[in-house]
Amino acid sequence: MNAFSAGSGGPLSLPAISRRALLRGSLAGAGLLALSACRSAADSSPGADAASGGAASPRRGGVLTVGVGVDFTPALLFAQSANSLLQRLVFNTLTRYDEQLRPQPELAKSWEVAPDGLSVTLKLREDVTFHSGRKFTADDVVFAVKNLQNPVRSAQLRSTALTVTDFRKNGDFELTLVLAHPVSNLFDLFEFMIVPDSESVEDAVAGTKLIGTGPFTFTERKPGSSLSFARNEKYWNPGRPYLDGVEIKVIPQAETLLSSVKTGQTHLTYAVRGKDVATLKDDKRFRITQYDTGAGAFYIGANLSFPEVQDKRVRQAIAWAIDRDRLVQQALGGYATVSSVPWPKSSPAYREEDAKRYHHDPEKAKALLKEAGVTSLSLPLAHQSDAGSTAVAQILQYDLKQVGIEVQLQPVDSPTMQKQLISQSMPALWTLSHSFSQAHPATLAVSAYPFNEAKNTSKFSSPAYTEAVQRAWNRSDADSPEAKALYQQVTDILLDEQFIVDLAIAGLVEVAGAQVRGVTLNKYSYLNLDDAYLAG
Amino acid sequence: MTTLSLPSSAPLLRPRNRYVAGLLTWRGVTGLVLVGVVALAGLLAPWLTDADPDAQGAQALAGPSGAHPLGTDDIGRDLLSRILHGILTDLSIILTAVPAGALIGAALALLAATSRAADLVVQRLFDLVLSFPGLILGLAVTAILGPGRWPVVIIIALAEVPYFGRQLRAGVLVQREREYALAARVGGAGRARVLLRHVLPNAVDPLIVQGAVALSVGVFIEGALSFLGLGVRPPQPTLGSLISGSVAYLDTDPLLAAAPLAVTTALVLGFTLLAEALNRGARS
Repeated sequence: MNAFSAGSGGPLSLPAISRRALLRGSLAGAGLLALSACRSAADSSPGADAASGGAASPRRGGVLTVGVGVDFTPALLFAQSANSLLQRLVFNTLTRYDEQLRPQPELAKSWEVAPDGLSVTLKLREDVTFHSGRKFTADDVVFAVKNLQNPVRSAQLRSTALTVTDFRKNGDFELTLVLAHPVSNLFDLFEFMIVPDSESVEDAVAGTKLIGTGPFTFTERKPGSSLSFARNEKYWNPGRPYLDGVEIKVIPQAETLLSSVKTGQTHLTYAVRGKDVATLKDDKRFRITQYDTGAGAFYIGANLSFPEVQDKRVRQAIAWAIDRDRLVQQALGGYATVSSVPWPKSSPAYREEDAKRYHHDPEKAKALLKEAGVTSLSLPLAHQSDAGSTAVAQILQYDLKQVGIEVQLQPVDSPTMQKQLISQSMPALWTLSHSFSQAHPATLAVSAYPFNEAKNTSKFSSPAYTEAVQRAWNRSDADSPEAKALYQQVTDILLDEQFIVDLAIAGLVEVAGAQVRGVTLNKYSYLNLDDAYLAG
Repeated sequence: MTTLSLPSSAPLLRPRNRYVAGLLTWRGVTGLVLVGVVALAGLLAPWLTDADPDAQGAQALAGPSGAHPLGTDDIGRDLLSRILHGILTDLSIILTAVPAGALIGAALALLAATSRAADLVVQRLFDLVLSFPGLILGLAVTAILGPGRWPVVIIIALAEVPYFGRQLRAGVLVQREREYALAARVGGAGRARVLLRHVLPNAVDPLIVQGAVALSVGVFIEGALSFLGLGVRPPQPTLGSLISGSVAYLDTDPLLAAAPLAVTTALVLGFTLLAEALNRGARS
């Protein structure tokens, strides 16, 4: 090193160096390089940071890299699509739930629901501006609700948004929403509904401009590759965010994403498959966190327009035939809970005896098929074509074969599967995962495509289901004993009819480098990085 | 028969002998041994293992044991059984697809020999197929037919058609100008008779080498398609799908990838060596 720096005059100095000196110098240089490499590795080693303790004070700066498997679809910005991580980076919601589903202030400082449940009055923050510099007012909340009422937006909570029939402003920062009837999931809407800038909303759904009030401003989108965000210096939450920016990288291949996480190129992801997560759980460089948000309740759906599955005993036989424990262990790496119902444990509708109603009992399945007069049954089963979903489908195929149901697997790519789900054009059986059971139970039954009492993928309808769902939804309270009794009615119908055979509840699994701190998700899997930082 | 009675009949037997001589070189013998061992293992699969290749069990990713000599995969299936039955699937696919590709290619080459217009059309058809990279061709076919065994057969056959066709066309162009072909025409034989009875038998020899090459390419295409999830539908095992399913466990269970990879390598290498041996034999 010295020789070269001293010899900045040119090659004239080189002949003065002996071969031995050169060799020694090279070795020393290589040693220094190796040391510096070790040093930089140690710098980025989350393990070292974790060892130093997690109580470090938040550090400003740094760009957090988030890995996702599916690209952002701008047209589905308001629909809660597969990629919903960016919603809370650019936008805010009116309220956000805590772990007990109690609403906490965000853009709404406080609220008051009328005793008859027919209106809610919101008091809004007065210090909020959009990234464009325009001030946030009650008009923006009116626009946000009307935006979700627009069928073009395909919002799954549209039915709840439609219950808002009138808006009464009291100044710029107080607004009363008048409802057609009481609804038990009003705060699900407030948790779900991002507040966009009305002037640029069409640009937002075109993916060219995203303007909100959130902690980060949208800077660049490379379709199929990445999305970049920079800190919003005028964010209403004082001193936040800590990060300089966020980059969302699109990595569709599960193996590549896993490598990216292992090599530290990706700091944070929710897209690592359960069975891959199992290979990381003992590695101190990573922190694994399970969220009770409903990213994945795995199920088999039955399309009742096919005569083979119209008899509910056949569907119940399918429910008894599946070895859910094996499915959870082998296909989901243990990162799920076996369940016969769609509700996670945090749901007010959850009861352990319901979750355990169906278990692996092939003899019972065979008896039910016999009772239904089925001697041989051959059915197609659609599944997503990725490796993880194929493993799930193969386990289901094998278990069903053991009770005499031959299944032909039909691999389908993810966008086509979503299209079939929405357009009710699934084959006799399909397997997928659903969300929307993580908030108030009524939301699932009036919003989610597989369960919507008015129009579901299974084409199931019954007056009893409709009545139970409408009664559970048309009330202002969500947790009272009466409400829970109504949820139980819905659950009993789901367990009996089995048009959706629930198998396991898998929340989102967060895989983060140990230096990543302060990350949270809301109930609709919106990534909240207000308090996030990269520890030293 | 006619060819034997013509002056050019003498060298006709010699190439075949040269192919045998080529097979008796180290390349040929190694190729034969590799392909033979793998093919035999596949054909004798039901006798070599009792385990059902599709039977799943509670023991997932188990290491080698008496019950499972190569261990189990991620959903508890016996790996040895799946590899042996996978060989059988692969062989059945390539032994259907390659002859089909050869027949179609040969038929098109003969059609091309009938007139200049037909030659032009067939040549451009071959150009069209060759202009698609194999993977794009596979994606296009599976986009229409969906994944499965027959789409894989069709893709392999389609990919091989131009190669067989061009080989045979080149042979036909040379042979039909030879004296025996002229003599047959002078003797009053029709164009079709000259082509089928005289020219064709003398022009097919290069296809034998091409066949061996195509078999190795077939294994490769099946592997690539199954690796991408576009191949044979699960749970039926193929060598490609076994490799594809093992990628997630390269760190923790390398045997899951190594075993099917070794078999695939042996099969592709075996066919390649055979093709090379036959080619060298023909040129000697």
